[in-house]
Amino acid sequence: MFLHLLTHLRNDSMAICRVYFHMHGILLLIVFFVSLLGGCAGFRQLEMPPLPENAPPSHELAAVPFFPQEAYQCGPAALAMALSSSGLPVIPGDLVDEVYTPSRKGSLQMAMIGATRRHGRLAYEITDLDSIFPEIAAGHPVVILQNLGLSWYPVWHYAVAVGYDATMGNVILRSGVTPRKLMPFGVFEKTWARSNYWGLLVLQPTQLPATAKEKTYLAAVLGLEKARQFQASISGYTTAITRWPQSFPARMGLGNSYYAIGDLKSSERAFRETIRLHPNAGSAYNNLAQVLLEQGRYHEALGAARKAVSLGGPLEARYEETLREIKSHIIR
Amino acid sequence: MKVIRRWVKPTSIALTILMLLISVPFQSVLAAMIGTETVMDSARGQEARAYLQQLLAREDVQAALIAHGIDPMEAKSRIDALSDDEVIRIADQIDQLPSGGTSFLGFLLVVTLVLFLVLVILDLTGVTDVFPFIKSQR
Repeated sequence: MFLHLLTHLRNDSMAICRVYFHMHGILLLIVFFVSLLGGCAGFRQLEMPPLPENAPPSHELAAVPFFPQEAYQCGPAALAMALSSSGLPVIPGDLVDEVYTPSRKGSLQMAMIGATRRHGRLAYEITDLDSIFPEIAAGHPVVILQNLGLSWYPVWHYAVAVGYDATMGNVILRSGVTPRKLMPFGVFEKTWARSNYWGLLVLQPTQLPATAKEKTYLAAVLGLEKARQFQASISGYTTAITRWPQSFPARMGLGNSYYAIGDLKSSERAFRETIRLHPNAGSAYNNLAQVLLEQGRYHEALGAARKAVSLGGPLEARYEETLREIKSHIIR
Repeated sequence: MKVIRRWVKPTSIALTILMLLISVPFQSVLAAMIGTETVMDSARGQEARAYLQQLLAREDVQAALIAHGIDPMEAKSRIDALSDDEVIRIADQIDQLPSGGTSFLGFLLVVTLVLFLVLVILDLTGVTDVFPFIKSQR
C-alpha cells in the first residue's frame, strides 16, 4: 500500500507545482531533522561546472521580464517570461488554457513545449548541466523544471534561470513570486538534477542556441513544422543550414515546409539543392517529382520519379507510387 | 419514422460516396511527399547502423565475439538484417553503458550476461543442457 502511494506520487509528479509550501514545509522539516540524526551526510558543496573561455564569470539577463505566479501556476508564468523575452508580448493569463492542467494543479513539460510552438517560437530542450551557463552568457534565459522536494516526495516547480555568479556560487532565478532569487549552486544542482536537468530554451526560429546540437535543433524545428507553423519552420531550417550546410534533414524539411505553404518554386529549389549535395537521396528526387507534377511539368517529374525508383532503398514502394501517379497524368 | 427509415440507406450510401470522392484525391497528394520526420528517422537509422558496424570492426570486439563462438561476419550480416528501429534501439543501449575506461568491460559484461540468460532459458526449455543444476521442464 505504501509502495502504491509512492508510485502514485511519482506518476503525478510531473505536473504539480505550488506556490504555498505549508504542508510541504512541515514534512520537509521533519525529513530535515531525521537527516540530521543521520549525521549530515550528503551536505557537500558542489562546484559550478567550468564556463566556456569567452563567458564572463558572472552574467545576468536583467531585461527578462518578471511575472509573479498565481496559485499553482508557475508553468504559465515561467513560459510567459521566456516568450516575452523572445519578443512576443504575452502575459501568464494568455497561456493558462494552453499549458495549465487544472485537475493536476500543474503544467506538463509537453504542454510547455507545445504552447511555445503554437506561438511560433522554437522549443529547444536542454538535458544536461553543462549547457545552461553558456546559454545564459549568450543571452538566452532558460526555463527549468526543479523538484524542490525529494525524489519520493516531489514538489515540482518551473522557474526561469536568468543569471549566474561564479565567484559567489549563485544562480539567479525568476521563481514563483520572487523576481530575483539567488540560489546557491549546490541547491540549484540538486533540485534541478531531480528532473534530469530538464530545461527549455524559447527562441526565435532565426536564433541558434550557443550549445546547439544538430539533431536536437532539427527535432525542435520539426516540431514547428508538425505544429503547422510553416513560416517559423522555414526560418528554422534555413538557420540550421547556415550552421550545418550539409544537413540532409534540414534541406528536406525546408523543401517540405515551402511545399506545405504552396510555394512550389522555393520548394523545387530546395529539393534541387538537396540533390546537388546528396545525389543518392531517393526521397529528395521523389519530393522533387511531386513538386514538378503539381506545376504541370509532367516530363521533368517523370524523370525525377524514375531516378528515385532506380535509387531504391526502404521507401522504394512510395517512389513507385509517385511514378504511377505521374504516368497516369501523362496518359490522360 | 417510416419515411426516415426509407431514406436512411440511400442517403448514407450517397454520403459515403461523396466522402470518398472528397478524401481520395487529397490522400494521394499527401502520400506522395516523403515527410521530414521519415527523413530524420532514416538518417538516425543509418547513423546507428554505421556506428554498430564500426564497433564490430574493432579488433577487441571481434576477438570477444570469436571467444564467444560468434563469427564477426555473421554478426555483421545480422545487423544488416535489422530494421532501422531495432538498430537505433541497440545503439542507444550500447550508448547507455558506463562510459570511459570501463566501457568495453561493461560491454563484455552485458554480452556475457545475455549469453548466460539465453543458455539458462534454453536449458529450462530443454533445448540445451549446459548447466547441470538446471532441470528441464520437459
